[in-house]
Amino acid sequence: MPSYALLGQSALSGVFIGALYGLLGLGLTLSWGMLRQINLAHFALVFLGAYLTYQLGAAGMDPLVTLALIAPAFFLFGAALHLLLARFKVNALNTLLVTFGFMVMLESLIQWIWSADFRRLESHYGDVKWKVGELFVPLPELLTLALACGLALAVWAALRFTDLGKAMRATAEDAPIAAAFGVNEKLLSLLLSGLCAAFAAVAGMCLALSHTLAPSQIYAWIGVVFAVVMIGGLGNPLGPLVAGVVIGVSEGLTMAVTAPVWAPLVSFSLLIAALLLRPEKF
Amino acid sequence: MRFIWRAAALAAMTALLWSAHAQQPVRIGSTLALTGPLGSAGNIQKVAIEVYIDDLNSRGGLLGRKVEWVLKDDQSRPDLARTLYEQLATVDKVDLLMGPYGTASILSAMGVAQRYGKILIHNSFGTPRLAKYDMQFSASGGAGDPENVWPNLVFDAVATAPKPPKTVAIVTTKFPSAHSIALGAREVAKKRGLTEVLFLEYEFGNRDFGAIAARVKDAKPDFVFAGALGLDGVLLLDAMKKIDYQPPMHFYTFPAPGPMLKLPEAKNALALTTFEEHPPHTGNPQATQFIQGFRERAAKASLPSTSVDLLSTIAYASWQVLEAAVSGARSLDDKALAQWLRQSQVDTVMGRLSWQGTPEGPPNFVMGKDIYKVKQLQDGKWLVVWPKEFAAPGAKLIGP
Amino acid sequence: MRFVAAAIVLGAVPFLGLPAFYESFLYLVFHWVVLATSWNILSGYSGYFSFGHAAFFGIGVYTTAVLAGKLDWPFLWTLPFAAAVPALVGVALGAIIFRVRALRGELFALLTLAVTFVVSTLVLNTPVDGGPGVMLSAVSIPKLAPTVSGTFYLLSLVLALATVAIAYAVYHSRFGTGLFAIHDDEAVAEVMGVPTYRFKLAAFALSCALAGVAGGIYGVFVSYVTVGETFSGFVALYVILMAALGGTRHWLGPALGAAALTTLLYVFTTSDYAVAGRAAMGLIFILVILFLPQGLLGRFAHRKALPRRNAPIPSAAPAAKNMESILVVRDLSKAFKGVQALSHVELEVRRGEILGLVGPNGSGKSTLINLVSGHYPVDGGSIRFEGRELVGEAPHRIARAGIARTYQIPRPFPHLTVLENVALPPMFGQVVMDRAAAEAEAWRWLEFTGLAGKALLQPQHLNLHQRKFLELARALASRPKLLFLDEVLSGLTPSEMNEAIRLIRAIRDQGATIVFVEHVMRAVMELTDRVVVLTYGKNIAAGAPGDVMRDPQVITAYLGAAHA
Repeated sequence: MPSYALLGQSALSGVFIGALYGLLGLGLTLSWGMLRQINLAHFALVFLGAYLTYQLGAAGMDPLVTLALIAPAFFLFGAALHLLLARFKVNALNTLLVTFGFMVMLESLIQWIWSADFRRLESHYGDVKWKVGELFVPLPELLTLALACGLALAVWAALRFTDLGKAMRATAEDAPIAAAFGVNEKLLSLLLSGLCAAFAAVAGMCLALSHTLAPSQIYAWIGVVFAVVMIGGLGNPLGPLVAGVVIGVSEGLTMAVTAPVWAPLVSFSLLIAALLLRPEKF
Repeated sequence: MRFIWRAAALAAMTALLWSAHAQQPVRIGSTLALTGPLGSAGNIQKVAIEVYIDDLNSRGGLLGRKVEWVLKDDQSRPDLARTLYEQLATVDKVDLLMGPYGTASILSAMGVAQRYGKILIHNSFGTPRLAKYDMQFSASGGAGDPENVWPNLVFDAVATAPKPPKTVAIVTTKFPSAHSIALGAREVAKKRGLTEVLFLEYEFGNRDFGAIAARVKDAKPDFVFAGALGLDGVLLLDAMKKIDYQPPMHFYTFPAPGPMLKLPEAKNALALTTFEEHPPHTGNPQATQFIQGFRERAAKASLPSTSVDLLSTIAYASWQVLEAAVSGARSLDDKALAQWLRQSQVDTVMGRLSWQGTPEGPPNFVMGKDIYKVKQLQDGKWLVVWPKEFAAPGAKLIGP
Repeated sequence: MRFVAAAIVLGAVPFLGLPAFYESFLYLVFHWVVLATSWNILSGYSGYFSFGHAAFFGIGVYTTAVLAGKLDWPFLWTLPFAAAVPALVGVALGAIIFRVRALRGELFALLTLAVTFVVSTLVLNTPVDGGPGVMLSAVSIPKLAPTVSGTFYLLSLVLALATVAIAYAVYHSRFGTGLFAIHDDEAVAEVMGVPTYRFKLAAFALSCALAGVAGGIYGVFVSYVTVGETFSGFVALYVILMAALGGTRHWLGPALGAAALTTLLYVFTTSDYAVAGRAAMGLIFILVILFLPQGLLGRFAHRKALPRRNAPIPSAAPAAKNMESILVVRDLSKAFKGVQALSHVELEVRRGEILGLVGPNGSGKSTLINLVSGHYPVDGGSIRFEGRELVGEAPHRIARAGIARTYQIPRPFPHLTVLENVALPPMFGQVVMDRAAAEAEAWRWLEFTGLAGKALLQPQHLNLHQRKFLELARALASRPKLLFLDEVLSGLTPSEMNEAIRLIRAIRDQGATIVFVEHVMRAVMELTDRVVVLTYGKNIAAGAPGDVMRDPQVITAYLGAAHA
């Protein structure tokens, strides 16, 4: 029987990786659920953000401070992307294709600038960790978790309690009717799209803190993050985080008690069973 | 008068054409994974090979003809590699083929080479027993049974530590080549009387190493043998650092060399190599040319690490083998080259290679011994520590 | 004919002595043609979007890998199994998935994605692969052409042609029409007689089988298969991209998209431009989709209607009105989340009559129709149609028995033309018609409802009145014995209403029995032979229209009690 410290540490590690899934999925779920845009370019944007953090970090800038530069720039990119998609009235399936094009272009850009070889941000954040009881809590992961929770909760609260958020939800439900009630749908969509891209910058910063980067890694995250977004319910800002943590913890615990190779089987079998037995919950 | 004039013109033309033919370059075709998941390795190899071809052409090329490298990007896909090799062989009609990067793509290329009777020199074939073609030659410096030779080498190395390990934890990806070596390590450890306190397999592409690190920590091994490829090793080290664990001794099969160098927690990590930037490997003109050439070109290609390493060395050496074969056989004929290689030895930058196979092994593979060495990350540098005759001056395996 | 000629020309390629590269390259093209087209048969046609095509492709790869590589079967013999095993897995999965109603759209995509992870983990950790990969270079390849590449070329050519031919045949068949209807509105499709469960299962099986064979051939083509390569996300992503690039609503679209993308990827393999080339591919992709949003073949996505065949409206003898009951509803109850929508309702419909079913809003009229047509399961009671119990029957079987309905808010299939909308029910009605006969029938009813001029438009171009008539034409086209009309008059102008009333009379005169649910009392009084009144889910009155409308209970129900 594995020790409690082992189980606890494995579960905690699952929580942390789940938080990263959630952070990666946040922008994706909002644009998918509320703008009907399946944005593959989000993944490339996350990596571009990570590389920029790496570059600015190598120049001596604190990773958190880099966000002040990167996030606004990404906001503009997201808004511009939305302008393009809206201008051509691209439907949901086709947004997948158009943003695939952008993903490939961004990937090429990254490889052109930083080569296909691995890059790794060296930051003092990586050396900080705390011991809580038997468990170790490293700073970069804690920061990721805090940002993931903070942003998800903030978006959730904003959508629920502010007029702007309510207007956004109304637009997502039925744009023409919302427009009839005086909601400026175009501006709201632009804002939301920009925000999603800014969230990619945040996710990218966290990725740079905890992972080694390579352009081809962009594709490695698509499958699991898509799963997390869909499990969480499209458009639900808390969904990817909760689903990510559930997947992360179930995989972490599986790895702690049995052969790690079986981890995907356990988490995804659970998912399939849940889908089949309680589909109305999704 | 007019006749003479014409005859002279004709003669001049003929001479011109003839010399043009002689000056026509030798075209050598290959693919590399320049994009896709293996892109980092492919691009390092590209730089190393360009360095070699520059040097080769400055020395006059092959058989007095310049060498032109027809390189294509197989996008890390074996199916594309196969089709591209068909193109090289049947449409581009290159004079010679060289291998791509990675076991699966090399197997694809090998099939094409076999169909057209071409020799194939390759450098990164992870599972030699899968090679069935008698005109394939590995220039990786590895034995035909790496799953036996390499674990023995590694366990020999760690046995020289002040306190040799008694227990071992083996953690491995299920990626075929690294997996088979880790399975070999289990056997070797058993034969040597080490206690296996942990054996874990994880899926290729696994991202969360937290639980695995925690289990390694719990098992308290004297030595961690990680069948790790590329980023796996870095991820595992990161995860171990996060739980404040530093294994007493640790080995990674083929880690991504660049990022490892920058990890403080990778201190004293062990890995396999054939050549490092220190004596006794350096000190000859070829090695100097290689190291300097690579440094310049890698910087130009904006590679993060401009030092040579295993990947660049085996790529460079494979072209040394090709040159040696062409000069030795004085021919571009595939059969003649294969014949020459089977009977010869080639001194490469990383050591002496030969291909006198044995009936029980795969064709053209030497069984039971090879030129691999064990390196250790000491003070931010990779230094060979075993076998002794290749160790960096004064370097010894650091261990508990 | 052109198809056959093309097949012969392509089949001759290996014998022309071209460099093997061309065969090898075309092999890759055909390989992707098969994968994209097979994906489209399920996901494009029926709208069940799969992210898990890699799983079934991979099962095919490993079926051949195990049979040919480990058990030394002859290569060609393994291919039927490479089709059968994924198809069986698909059917087994589908049998579970398709029973769960809510699993559409993203959830189906998610489920298939999860299946990929599960299958790849199972293959990796069982003796199927176990880790080292499976070596297939020792598998002997039959000599179908002068060269090995030629053999792969021919195999993939045959498979690609077969796949495209299947996609073509499905597209033009009842099966395909049913799938497109499922894509647009599954519940309506079922009520119109489409056996949706069976069709989805069949499409899934077909899709998996074709992907599996492609996998079987591919395994031997690359000669060494590993889990990492086989189940990589690229397959699942690329088939979607290819199908959408070409156009998912055309049988040839995915094939064209596959050829285009494969070529595009191949063009940029020159080393000096590998990275720039990738970027260029991304740009081309963006531009194509922005300017051809329906895919390369989008503008051809509509089936050409068969030449119009005018057939006169059949002048079937009006069924003699008699006292025989065609439909008998006894003790019928239904509750939704605790709200009793119908309780112990009784209803008898006599052959040949027009029965008015009236009652205030929320009295359960539409629920009654939904129960009889099988849309909702019944809580208790019995529904007998021509002596046959309908409770527990699938909606499409009820439709096939001869019951049709309209929807209060029209629910046409939005991506089908008006003609296709109307031609659907006859293909799945009491007498199964082929497409040509069904279209002839449809023209007849379009003429009857005055929609013939709009036949080739999509329903979005119709106004409300025309949509209501489309509902009517669609219900009539199956020549029902019993027809439920759910508020067909609401929202119509008085003159449109008169036209509708004339139509309904004409329908009855052709022999149908009609249950007429309506609020417009003038029409009820004018049209019906008898009236049944429901309120709060209960019968309160039945009889001749004039009598019922004077019933004090009915007056109270409609106008409220005289005083509190």
